[in-house]
Amino acid sequence: MTIREKGYSHWDGKLEERRFPWWPISRLGIRLAFKKKYFRLLLFGALAVVFVFIVGIYISERIEDFRHMIKDEGQLLKIDPAFFYTYLSNNFMLFMMVMIALVGGAGLIADDLKHNSLQLYFARPLKKIDYLLGKANVLVFFFLLITLVPGLVFVFFKLLFAGNFEFLKTYPWLPVSVIGYSLFITGFFCLYALLLSSLSKNSRYVSILIVAVYYFSDILFQFFFENVKKDPEFGLLSLRVNLQQVGAWFFNLKPKYAVPWYLSLLILLAVEAVGAVVLSRKVRGVEVVR
Amino acid sequence: MIVEVSDLKFSYGRSLALDGVTLRLAEGAVGLLGPNGAGKSTLLRILLGFLVPQQGRGRVLGFDIRLEPLSIRRHIGYMPEDDCLIPGMDGVTFTAHFGELSGMPRQEAMKRAHDVLFYVGLGESRYRPLQSYSAGMKQRLKLAQAIIHDPKLLFLDEPTSNLDPIGRKEVLELIRDISSKKDIQVLVSSHILSDIESVCSDVVILNRGRLAAQGRLSDLRAFNYRLYEVRIKGNGEGFIGRLETLGCRVEETADKLLKVYLPPDLDNRKILAAAEEEKVQVRHFVRSQTSLEDFFAQTVGVD
Repeated sequence: MTIREKGYSHWDGKLEERRFPWWPISRLGIRLAFKKKYFRLLLFGALAVVFVFIVGIYISERIEDFRHMIKDEGQLLKIDPAFFYTYLSNNFMLFMMVMIALVGGAGLIADDLKHNSLQLYFARPLKKIDYLLGKANVLVFFFLLITLVPGLVFVFFKLLFAGNFEFLKTYPWLPVSVIGYSLFITGFFCLYALLLSSLSKNSRYVSILIVAVYYFSDILFQFFFENVKKDPEFGLLSLRVNLQQVGAWFFNLKPKYAVPWYLSLLILLAVEAVGAVVLSRKVRGVEVVR
Repeated sequence: MIVEVSDLKFSYGRSLALDGVTLRLAEGAVGLLGPNGAGKSTLLRILLGFLVPQQGRGRVLGFDIRLEPLSIRRHIGYMPEDDCLIPGMDGVTFTAHFGELSGMPRQEAMKRAHDVLFYVGLGESRYRPLQSYSAGMKQRLKLAQAIIHDPKLLFLDEPTSNLDPIGRKEVLELIRDISSKKDIQVLVSSHILSDIESVCSDVVILNRGRLAAQGRLSDLRAFNYRLYEVRIKGNGEGFIGRLETLGCRVEETADKLLKVYLPPDLDNRKILAAAEEEKVQVRHFVRSQTSLEDFFAQTVGVD
């Protein structure tokens, strides 16, 4: 290999102070995620459900045309806050979010720890928060793509198929609920994935942790609820149940379990607070061994 | 002054890493030397703003290390010791990415990434995935990402580690080229003394967290030793013993060449006088240069 095939020349441009220094990190992360075949398949799977719900909205507006096909006017065909709640907090959606966190988020920090890249990032004019925002926004992008975007698209299609604004007059707060809950679960899963990603240099181990912690909390709840006592407060042990309880509050619905929604919120916020503290301690330019 | 620090103190828990280091580095290539645990990496990390000193202050390129770490990082390039990469990327995207993070516009960063990769000798491999790079290529890639934004000051941490002799020679040639012709100041931290000797004009030696020596390489050598190469015929043992009583250090090489290190205040004619007294014939008497290795060993107190 020859050296200096080309001479060094100075760059005469001016280094800028970016308004969003995290943007190149996010853009690169999104690009690298799309390079993974499994990730593309997963995203397609998550978005396929959106079409089912849009068809549901269409049918709900043309219910008379489909009367012969439907025995009963099911819940799915009634477009109300419960319809949006069902989309955003059903078990499948939460499962898909865990999967996206697993495939797209496990390596976000773990790979940088493994390959010593943190020092390269922090040798740049980046603050810790810029780095974390850059990584978090990769997941934010994908999570919002399957929660917020479809939620707003549903509102749009409902208005389009109905041909009037009656729906918004009945539920004027619904778009705010969709935005609020989408942001809430996005924020939760983001911090959850980044927290676990910062705990190990091995992204496979992190992947296992992402699934295991989420489902272990649910198994724990099921075990106590089914075998010890049918006490709804055991629901507080499950991340899934807590997310659904808070979701019910966002959509002004009665929660499935008779536990105050704010307890679920407190538990989720506590998990996020732990995540923020751990991230702040684990992500640094140098590994300091005391 | 490129770097100016005074009374820097930093400890990892109870272990003191830097103990009141004060130094001023002028323009040029400077070598940072010291045995393991001397505080070299800690000093570099403080200059980069990774660590905040518990005491003391300092400026890098005129920016305060406590108050303006981001401005410092905008204008310096850093080549770390460890292998660093982002899996799934190729060389040109990797280099451009870090150029962009330094504040370069996206298109400019991409254009310049091609240029610097050609410069470091990775032109043909710039589209290859980073995982397939050899140790030497990774080393060059680290250099490329460090110079993409055309920094004013370059921190190189063990730039030739893990390299074979040819790769080492080529990387040293690059560093020499950058520091001598490109108006970029270089601070090289290395434990390979010959690397520092071949690249740097100035040297800073740290030992146990303290500044052990600092100055121009030629001055430091001249100040501490005068080395004479002597070849004799006759009783070598008596001659060596007499020189040692005069305060000289004498080494005998395999081919019977005596390397005589004279203390600064001893006249070189004493060597000839000692030979006359011991009745040995001096057949070769030449002043030689002391190596950095000798000076380093004397400064940090090891053989």
